[in-house]
Amino acid sequence: MPNIRVLRDMKARKGVFDNEVTRRAYLYVARNQTLPPQVRHQAQLQLNTFGRYTRPTTVKNRCHESGRGRGIISEFALCRFQFRLKALAGELNGVRKASW
Amino acid sequence: MSAVFPSRIAKLNRLRCSIFQTIYNPTGIRTGAKYLRARLRGPSMLDYYPVEMNISKIARLYPELEITDEDEEQRFQDVEDRKKRGKGAPKKARTKEQGRRAQRRR
Repeated sequence: MPNIRVLRDMKARKGVFDNEVTRRAYLYVARNQTLPPQVRHQAQLQLNTFGRYTRPTTVKNRCHESGRGRGIISEFALCRFQFRLKALAGELNGVRKASW
Repeated sequence: MSAVFPSRIAKLNRLRCSIFQTIYNPTGIRTGAKYLRARLRGPSMLDYYPVEMNISKIARLYPELEITDEDEEQRFQDVEDRKKRGKGAPKKARTKEQGRRAQRRR
């Protein structure tokens, strides 16, 4: 069972997915310098009405195993400790402990 | 080698844009095109976490199968038993004065 932070992150991902196209359209209008300033301002105001979990920056890659938010090895989507555990258990293909 | 007029360079650029189907934008004004050009990131964001299947999810997906989650049933039963012994969760406070925080301060 994922912890609350992972659930919140899932919610953010869902929100980003649902609102991405409309947000992009507003962004296009708001950042377009060839359009009249009033229109751009209105678009910016509309952008501000979107909720917190619709912005892509609220999405954070968390550990698949433990839900930890820091020290994620993105190739495996695991935090450093879970990565070590799994690697030592031989569950990650092509990963072995260095020794020289 | 003679100097080339800036107006001729501008003309050349305009022609180049028409040939390669790019937008002629000599002043570099922001058109917001990058927000339309960029790929949508939502789909790849959605499938970051692996899909986890458990009994309650399957039961919710297929209500016609009438699967019962035994652990969940047991939990409900335990909660009921605890309530009978007067060990249930306290009632939600209606007003601020009833709240536990206010009681502690007194």
